[in-house]
Amino acid sequence: MSTTTFIRTGDLKGLVADLRAAGVGVAGPARTSDGAVDYRSITAFDDVVLDAQPRNSLKQFFLPPTEPLFKYQRKGSDVAILEISATFPPRVIVGARPCDAAAVDVLDHVMNWDYKDEPWFGRREATTIVTFACPGGDRSCFCTAVGLGPDATRGSDLLLVPAGDGYYVEVVTEKGKRLVDAYPKRFGAGAGVDATLSYREKARASVEGHVPARPDVIRQWVQEHFEDPFWADISLRCHGCGGCAAACPTCHCFDIVDEPETLTEGTRRRNWDTCQTSVFTAHASGHNPRADQCGRCRQRVNHKFAIYPARFNDILCTGCGRCARTCPAGQDVTEILNRIVAMATGQGGAA
Amino acid sequence: MNVYQPFRVRVEEKIAETADTQTLKLRFLDEDVAKSFDFKAGQFGEYSVFGAGECTFCIASSPTRKGYIECSFKTVGKVTNAMRDVEVGDVMGFRGPYGNAFPMEKMHGGNVVFIAGGIGLAPVRCVIWNVLDERDKYKDVTIVYGARTVADLVYKRELEDWGKRPDVKLWTTVDPGGETPDWKGSVGFVPAIVEKAAPKADNSWAVVCGPPVMIKYTIPVLKKMGFTEDRILTTLENRMKCGIGKCGRCNIGPVYVCKDGPVFTAQEMAKLPNEF
Repeated sequence: MSTTTFIRTGDLKGLVADLRAAGVGVAGPARTSDGAVDYRSITAFDDVVLDAQPRNSLKQFFLPPTEPLFKYQRKGSDVAILEISATFPPRVIVGARPCDAAAVDVLDHVMNWDYKDEPWFGRREATTIVTFACPGGDRSCFCTAVGLGPDATRGSDLLLVPAGDGYYVEVVTEKGKRLVDAYPKRFGAGAGVDATLSYREKARASVEGHVPARPDVIRQWVQEHFEDPFWADISLRCHGCGGCAAACPTCHCFDIVDEPETLTEGTRRRNWDTCQTSVFTAHASGHNPRADQCGRCRQRVNHKFAIYPARFNDILCTGCGRCARTCPAGQDVTEILNRIVAMATGQGGAA
Repeated sequence: MNVYQPFRVRVEEKIAETADTQTLKLRFLDEDVAKSFDFKAGQFGEYSVFGAGECTFCIASSPTRKGYIECSFKTVGKVTNAMRDVEVGDVMGFRGPYGNAFPMEKMHGGNVVFIAGGIGLAPVRCVIWNVLDERDKYKDVTIVYGARTVADLVYKRELEDWGKRPDVKLWTTVDPGGETPDWKGSVGFVPAIVEKAAPKADNSWAVVCGPPVMIKYTIPVLKKMGFTEDRILTTLENRMKCGIGKCGRCNIGPVYVCKDGPVFTAQEMAKLPNEF
């Protein structure tokens, strides 16, 4: 797919109204009651806030923080298993950021690793992602260091870039094309790609250089330095709260637990989990293969920049910078990656 | 039905192995599943007591015995406590089989030495019965099994059977001080008994499972006898939730116990980072 089209701002408002009228759920970055910006359900395009990175990522639309897997009902010694509906209502996300859209695509690998995670792919198929090219980031952003960029199309069905009196539209996928084809009056002729260039360049300049674009160097150093004082050093700052994992668009580790609701029935759920806590790997016997925070901090970096690349030839990070912004102790992924590149290229360990 | 939904299994038999170790024999409720269910020696599954949750164990019965599976477990946590309390006739859950398996075909025509300590006999027992049920496919079979005390030996009834078989050389041992007045087996640690049993290394495979300290001191003994690292097999366990590579917690560095294991050669073990 490489077709392009154009949508005026007024038509974008109309499109959201059309979708809502057709019974399609619409979500996008919008103010919460406490004034922050989160991806959440919206009722009109006017709710959408495009100049701030949402606190959360798109992860919860595909892997909810808590999700029922099935229900069980006991009757004497017998147990009935009640399946959870595997049909998901159609949804369009309007105003996704390129880093967040890409993250969903990155996670498709693990969610389809020999076994297909049906709830994940059920929601994937039911959801159309309309991404807006990022206006630019802060010092924690580093998407260009992981093969992406403020106007990357990965994971998006449509990519919109501001131009003239509306948005230049890149139709990225068949699903994106279906959305355009379903509302032909909303799309039409307008400013071309040239009108988007200065916006793209300005955005790119704002995030470039925060981390060297050397993912292979990072991967090799991490693979070869499982035992290194560096891990203990960065872990001294970590409280093990796992806030980084909750904010992360690609952290997908989960727990599976039973939640009894009455004496005889309940729900088996999967809940977000984090490798930053000690209980994550603790055996019932008391043995813990990752006994200290050093091993847990190493695991997070290792999983993202070495293990996932080795398994799937992809990086489990989209450079959104949320972990750095979220951390109560100031743990900064850009500092960690800069130090790794510096050590790997023999330029000392200072940030 | 999603991949996290278990088969229903009924508890057919419940055996107290030791004061804190049980074996459950579980039969699939669904006739079609009972007929079609198949696994390989060494694979594992997720067992559940509805309301308590899921737990990971190897399948302790042999794939040569169809229609049911067995698991043996020590009562240590929430789910294993609930499993201790189930009664014959109760319905539990099972997902699996997952993971890789012991290379049974490669072992055909060779001698097999089984070495296990404590509850570590559970995954080894699966392979023992697989070999004994197809006895003509293998040459000499030697079993060395040890526990801390006589009371800690599991599968006692089967140890007796194996001891009586002319086609099995069985060595049982307990740690010094763990013997009873009528104990007829050896007294001493497993690696020392392996040395005493002296199985020949030529055309042989060793299947080893037990506490880390036992494995640590047994592998050098086997290597000294001439066993090569690619013919020393063990099975690892780690905390798991999904069993299928998604929940993100069983990896030892780059190696996923659920996907790359649980069966590893000593050669593969030697390459693992220090995280298990």
